[in-house]
Amino acid sequence: MASFDYSALTVDGIRAGLAAGDFSAREIAEAALARIEAADAKVNAFLQLIPDAALAAADAVDAAVAAGKLNELGPLAGVPVGFKDNMNLLGTRTTCGSHMLENYESMYTATCVQRLLDAGGLPMGKLNMDEFAFGSSTETSAFGTTKNPWDLERVPGGSSGGSAAAVAAGMLPITLGSDTGGSIRQPASFCGVVGVKPTYGLVSRYGVVAFGSSLDQVGPFARTVRDAALAMNALVGHDPLDCTSQPCTTDFTANLEQGVEGMRIGVVPEFMTAQGLEPEVGEAVLDAIQKLASAGAEIVEVDLPNAAAAMSAYYVIGPSEAFSNLSRFDSVRYGLCDPGHADLGSQYEASRSRGFGPEARRRIMLGSYLLSAGVYDTYYYPAQQVRTLITDDYRMAFGECDCILAPASPRTAFKFGEITDPTTMHLSDIFTISINIAGNGGMSVPLGLGKDSKLPVSAQLICPWFQDENMLRVAAALEREYGAAELPPAFASGRAGE
Amino acid sequence: MKTMEQVLQDWEAVIGLEIHCELTELETKMFCGCKLEFGAEPNTHTCPVCLGLPGALPVPNKAAIESIVLAGLATNCEIEKHTMFYRKGYMYPDMAKNFQTTQGPKAFAMRGWLDLDVDGKGAEERLDMRDLAVGETHESATRTETGYTTHIGITRIHMEEDAGKMIHVGGGEGRIDGATHSLVDYNRAGTPLMELVTEPDLRTPEEARLFMQKLRQVYLSLGISDCSLEEGSMRADGNISLRRRGETEFGTRTEMKNINSFKALHDALAYEICRQAEVLEKGGTVVQETRHWDPAAKHTISMRVKETADDYRMFPDPDLAPYDLSDEFIEGVRAKLPELPDQKVARFQRSWGLSAYDARHVIEHRETSQFFETAMAQAGSEAEKLAKPLANLVINDLTARMNADESFDLASCALTPARAVELVALQAADTISSKQAKEVLEVVFGEDKDPAAIVEERGMKQVSDTGAIEAVVDAVLAANPEKVAEYQGGKTGLLGFFVGQCMKEMKGQGNPKLINQLLEEKLSS
Repeated sequence: MASFDYSALTVDGIRAGLAAGDFSAREIAEAALARIEAADAKVNAFLQLIPDAALAAADAVDAAVAAGKLNELGPLAGVPVGFKDNMNLLGTRTTCGSHMLENYESMYTATCVQRLLDAGGLPMGKLNMDEFAFGSSTETSAFGTTKNPWDLERVPGGSSGGSAAAVAAGMLPITLGSDTGGSIRQPASFCGVVGVKPTYGLVSRYGVVAFGSSLDQVGPFARTVRDAALAMNALVGHDPLDCTSQPCTTDFTANLEQGVEGMRIGVVPEFMTAQGLEPEVGEAVLDAIQKLASAGAEIVEVDLPNAAAAMSAYYVIGPSEAFSNLSRFDSVRYGLCDPGHADLGSQYEASRSRGFGPEARRRIMLGSYLLSAGVYDTYYYPAQQVRTLITDDYRMAFGECDCILAPASPRTAFKFGEITDPTTMHLSDIFTISINIAGNGGMSVPLGLGKDSKLPVSAQLICPWFQDENMLRVAAALEREYGAAELPPAFASGRAGE
Repeated sequence: MKTMEQVLQDWEAVIGLEIHCELTELETKMFCGCKLEFGAEPNTHTCPVCLGLPGALPVPNKAAIESIVLAGLATNCEIEKHTMFYRKGYMYPDMAKNFQTTQGPKAFAMRGWLDLDVDGKGAEERLDMRDLAVGETHESATRTETGYTTHIGITRIHMEEDAGKMIHVGGGEGRIDGATHSLVDYNRAGTPLMELVTEPDLRTPEEARLFMQKLRQVYLSLGISDCSLEEGSMRADGNISLRRRGETEFGTRTEMKNINSFKALHDALAYEICRQAEVLEKGGTVVQETRHWDPAAKHTISMRVKETADDYRMFPDPDLAPYDLSDEFIEGVRAKLPELPDQKVARFQRSWGLSAYDARHVIEHRETSQFFETAMAQAGSEAEKLAKPLANLVINDLTARMNADESFDLASCALTPARAVELVALQAADTISSKQAKEVLEVVFGEDKDPAAIVEERGMKQVSDTGAIEAVVDAVLAANPEKVAEYQGGKTGLLGFFVGQCMKEMKGQGNPKLINQLLEEKLSS
């Protein structure tokens, strides 16, 4: 067996190694499986491993390499990848972290998953998440909590906690998550990795179990900005199966080395003084602003006067759409069924009560109420009006800047059970939610460790619609300042959480 | 119970229809690529989208949007350029997502109308028309020579998806009561479905029947649906309430769902008129409810009365972007509009001198209309002369045959348009009598021969030789002296008796016109 440090490999490193014959894709897959076996015993990021599929994909890559056709393979050839468990992959279970779908076998493959496979990715498995993506800590998963590799007593964030933790612990170089209100950016921030929520419409949602259809967007986690950009290249573009998806031919790696000179970086004063923003996070973001200014960016203040209402609008629109999207889980055709009832209504009630956890039930009931006759006009309609106002705010702001820099999460990772009040938990997303409401792109980029907590702190970069290359360019500049995301000491090369 | 005629002396019926029509002529379903095919093995035309699997997303069928715009233009609707799809939530296994994708307050087609020509027996149901002079108008109805014309408003036509088909097993007659289990066939789920809603402008069951019939003609002419009532691709819900004549407020309505024949629609509404009148005249109140029409028992029965109004939690479907139809698109669809039934009636009147009544009934079915046109083309210079008898043949004989026998196919039957022309020409030339014409028609169907050959072969030619007829007339009169005396004494009704005797003698081949003429001459001399 060739000797290589699997956890340190980037996408480019894997490709170079395959080209040079330093290792085979099968050896990569085996190393990934070994790493997962060791590290995931502590982290619990995976809900399901699919070694056979991974090895088969690896062998296909090796066959192409042997035939001298590596150049014909996609940008992720031989790269182990993992998927949040709300993404369908034929031959796997897709549980959404819920008892409701505990034994649900995917009947087809999601477009985003297929695109990573088409790009040469090796499918390693499915990753833990908050139940149906309802949560900010992955604690609402029906299948146990995922641990933050930086501190196993802390949450990885959520809802894409498994996807963030798997990358942070060096188990996978690239994973996919979905982000409805911050579910990629917040866990990326907690785990100290890069996490991209692309502009709504860049990545197909087909095959991703919907939470809030007008808010959901799939994006990658990676340890480097370039790896994330390469994953973006594989993911984006129109999908005839998702009529909200848009054509895109951008090469997201093209301007990563350009630097920020001449770019206008927006700073939102309301964000920097927000209640609940921990001092070490605020200071780290200010430091990032300084560094960008030193690197030649022009710093401008921009206002988002209605952003404060984003949380309210989100907790109307999100649950309303979730209520409707989750109504298909009725125990009749698939999913958990509590049988033996005299009538269908009782079967629905019993099955759904057993299948859905407390947070899912809370959102379903909330959405059911918000859409009901007489209530709709009081909440749903005004929420859509707020949505228009927030979108207009961003449009105005992007008249003055190319990219906004803000905190990703108001604080660093918290401990398990530390936040039990749902409203406080929801505040995890105060800096991320307005971007889902407006539909533009946002991403988390690590700024090193907080000076007090010694836990990862991130900045959030926010871009205009379909100019996601702007934020990746700024992220690459910050990465040069702060260094690429490191593995946590306990998961450094050769260690697996001991 | 009083008869409907009695009830309608005092009460006015207010009827509105909701007519569903599947776009069966399209290749694929509304929001996925599954094939549209009636009668396939259950659940063979399904995919993640129409099965409502987790993660599946809808993609609208552009051809369906074109079809509904076509339907809207053909029914004088305004086309809404900016519309959205909505989700209508209800939990039932026939709709796999547990919501139906439909349209919200704005539909693709809004504010249209159709005019109905009501005549014959059906016109008698409308009592307020009886006393009007031709050309006189009451409300939106105008008296005509043969009946009346009435203007029916169309509220909207919206696009939605059909549900799957539930089959209840173990209960009586496939009903859910007593069933041990239920099966679902999702082949139909996601079929593009147009729902047309009328204004409450209909006043009689006959008007409701005619509206549905006319709408079916329009849709058939557009080629967007097979409009099969038997297979359920076209079906109606009827809403009906009563109010005292002269009142303007609406009464409480009942609804009858999924009616799948013209006759059932008429009869169910007629029954409800009588039932509601009985309830009201006894001092009771009509309960707002859905009632089921039982065609065998010829009555409606109450379905479960809902304690609370349904709350469908409608909201715009976030998976489907709002529609913005361009003027170019709408005008492009308009350019595809075929000749519509009303235009066809006008053309038939103009080209061949048919009456409005005849033209309307000739075009009642696509098959009869095509048959008539082909026959007229073959009649050449005789067309105008033969139009009326040919229309009679189509309306009285062929339509009746089609109505009586579902398997009868006019397009492939022994009576080709050419033979029909030959047959009516023989009669027009007095070669055969009308009675003989009917016999020949039967033989054409029975033996698949040309009418002229049948007439020749059977010696069926009508005798128009005055000498021969005169001899028979003289013999009949001589054989019945008492009857002749009675006739001459004023009992002129006996003429028919003499005609009959003469025809009998001539084995039905005498020219009745000549027989009549000669009898009258001789009896009055």
